[in-house]
Amino acid sequence: MIRFCRYLPVVVMLAFFLMSCATAPVSDVRPGQTPELESDEAGLWMHMDKIEKKLKHSDRIETDADLNQYVRDIVAKLKPELADDLRIYIVRTPHFNASMAPNGFMQLWTGALLRCENEAQLAYIIGHEIGHYQKRHSLQQWRVMRNTSSTLAFVSLATAVAGVGFVGDVASLVAVAGVFAYSRDQEREADQIGFDLMVKAGYDPLEAVKIWQQMEKEREAARDKKQFILFATHPKAEERIETLKTLAQQLTGTSGELDGFKTPYTAATATFRPQWLRDELRKRKYNASEVVLNNLLESGADPAQMCFFQGELHRLRAEEHDLKKSVDCYAKAIAHENTPAVAHRSMGLLQWKLGQKDDAVRCFKNYLEAAPDASDLDMIKAYIDELELENE
Amino acid sequence: MELKIIKNLPRFFVYFTILVFVSCTPATYNVRDNFKPAENKVSKILIMPLDIELSELTAGGLKEPKADWTQAAKTHIMSALDKSMRAVNANIQSCDPSVETPEQARINQQLSKLHEVVGGTILIHKYIPAFNLPTKKDSFDWTLGGGVKTLKDLYDADYAMFIYIRDSYASGGRKALIVGAALLGVTVQGGAQRGFVSLVDLNTGDIVWFNRIARGHGDLRSEKPATETVTYLLKGCPL
Repeated sequence: MIRFCRYLPVVVMLAFFLMSCATAPVSDVRPGQTPELESDEAGLWMHMDKIEKKLKHSDRIETDADLNQYVRDIVAKLKPELADDLRIYIVRTPHFNASMAPNGFMQLWTGALLRCENEAQLAYIIGHEIGHYQKRHSLQQWRVMRNTSSTLAFVSLATAVAGVGFVGDVASLVAVAGVFAYSRDQEREADQIGFDLMVKAGYDPLEAVKIWQQMEKEREAARDKKQFILFATHPKAEERIETLKTLAQQLTGTSGELDGFKTPYTAATATFRPQWLRDELRKRKYNASEVVLNNLLESGADPAQMCFFQGELHRLRAEEHDLKKSVDCYAKAIAHENTPAVAHRSMGLLQWKLGQKDDAVRCFKNYLEAAPDASDLDMIKAYIDELELENE
Repeated sequence: MELKIIKNLPRFFVYFTILVFVSCTPATYNVRDNFKPAENKVSKILIMPLDIELSELTAGGLKEPKADWTQAAKTHIMSALDKSMRAVNANIQSCDPSVETPEQARINQQLSKLHEVVGGTILIHKYIPAFNLPTKKDSFDWTLGGGVKTLKDLYDADYAMFIYIRDSYASGGRKALIVGAALLGVTVQGGAQRGFVSLVDLNTGDIVWFNRIARGHGDLRSEKPATETVTYLLKGCPL
């Protein structure tokens, strides 16, 4: 320790040196701007062009024309001058995420679309990603990484020559933490831009706060460990909630009517929800998914569908009381006129498992009535025969 | 928001390890068992979009992709391929995205991805003795399968050539570091040329010839050394 303290000033100096060599500021991207062929930015674009080409033909891309047009329209509403430079790919992945590449392609994961309650929330996410593009964050991040790692290589060499290699190691840690801090600052900047864009377009900014509150709830339910902040790429959700709340409060009364635009969002996404919910349950993170389902139900999503998926969740989790809860949920789903046909089948399978054979047969018959062209028709008929034979 | 390049770093290490391993094996190319090209016939070879990236190796060990170098390399490689193939009575043709329907473009992209995977598998299981597969160690019978027929129909070619190259050059800083470290007796890796090429029979999808490159020299940025790299890459091509 004493030895380390002696070198502390050196470490601090090195750290400051590493931070200062980070990067010079870059200007905002201009509409239609492409990088000079000889620049580092052109290299990044070329690399990402290749990745985009692969992504474009991936089977995980949601290709529905209406849904894609809907999302593009939001981009145009938020930032019309950059709309022609941005390409959005809706990727079927059941996690909450979106990302922006330096060459202008944005990935929007269906897990994020599932979690949004209204257009305002989606607009905030898209606005945040537009912020990354506008500020050319990838380029800046790359330069910070490149310059820091290169300087570190020489620092390590120099400290090794001086016989104090551990000073180089400590400096490395400080520098890596510095790169992460830089990334968090970029996220804060993108948050601010996302907020400004959504307000300008007439969306209610309090919806942005709700997203982070929702994510916090999910994290708590999943009992995920909190990330060690020194090496986190994003600021903590608590911080983002506070910042956005403050910004939103400052706005109260200063602007006109603000809206969440719930109806158009539901119209654009409702048909995809069953698929996205099935994907969600495949993650097998049931405690977190439960929060997602409850929230959707509270925010007015189709109760027949939501109750069915809640039943599915309990059936799949199969912990204490889950089977009982599952029966209750399916019953609630079936009580609705527009219940999905598969709810009858799930209920039938569950009743069979619980030994309620008559109920099981009745449910299977209801299923076949509701879905006479079901692909598993023969299978279900065989189940019915088997159950009726046993009952005789 | 994350940089894909950073995510790909582990893959770079895998390739680097492969590079170290394969540098020890003597024969670099493989020809399909019992393959004989048609005699007295001018073969038509479709050159698939070149999967090439040139980069600068920074002092810190990151690879910075270089668009201008890559563009120049593509031009040099195409002209060198043209010359070499004419010499063996074959004609080359490039893919033309403008004649491809979106569906054909999708299939071609999938084929390129498939080739990348199959090629990577060959590199591991054919070139690293420790990973030889019991059923494949004495033969060379890899294939992309009948799906290549769309290429045959579209371009009316006999073969398709897939080329994958990652080529890096030490920056000034990296060179200084190499010298500095060498004084201390430590070796620091410089730029490297690595990649693989295969010739695929468009009637069957079979890979009839496969070669790899893995070395610490060569330069694709200017015409003359690029021609040397192409000659090296085409070693053992049975046409």
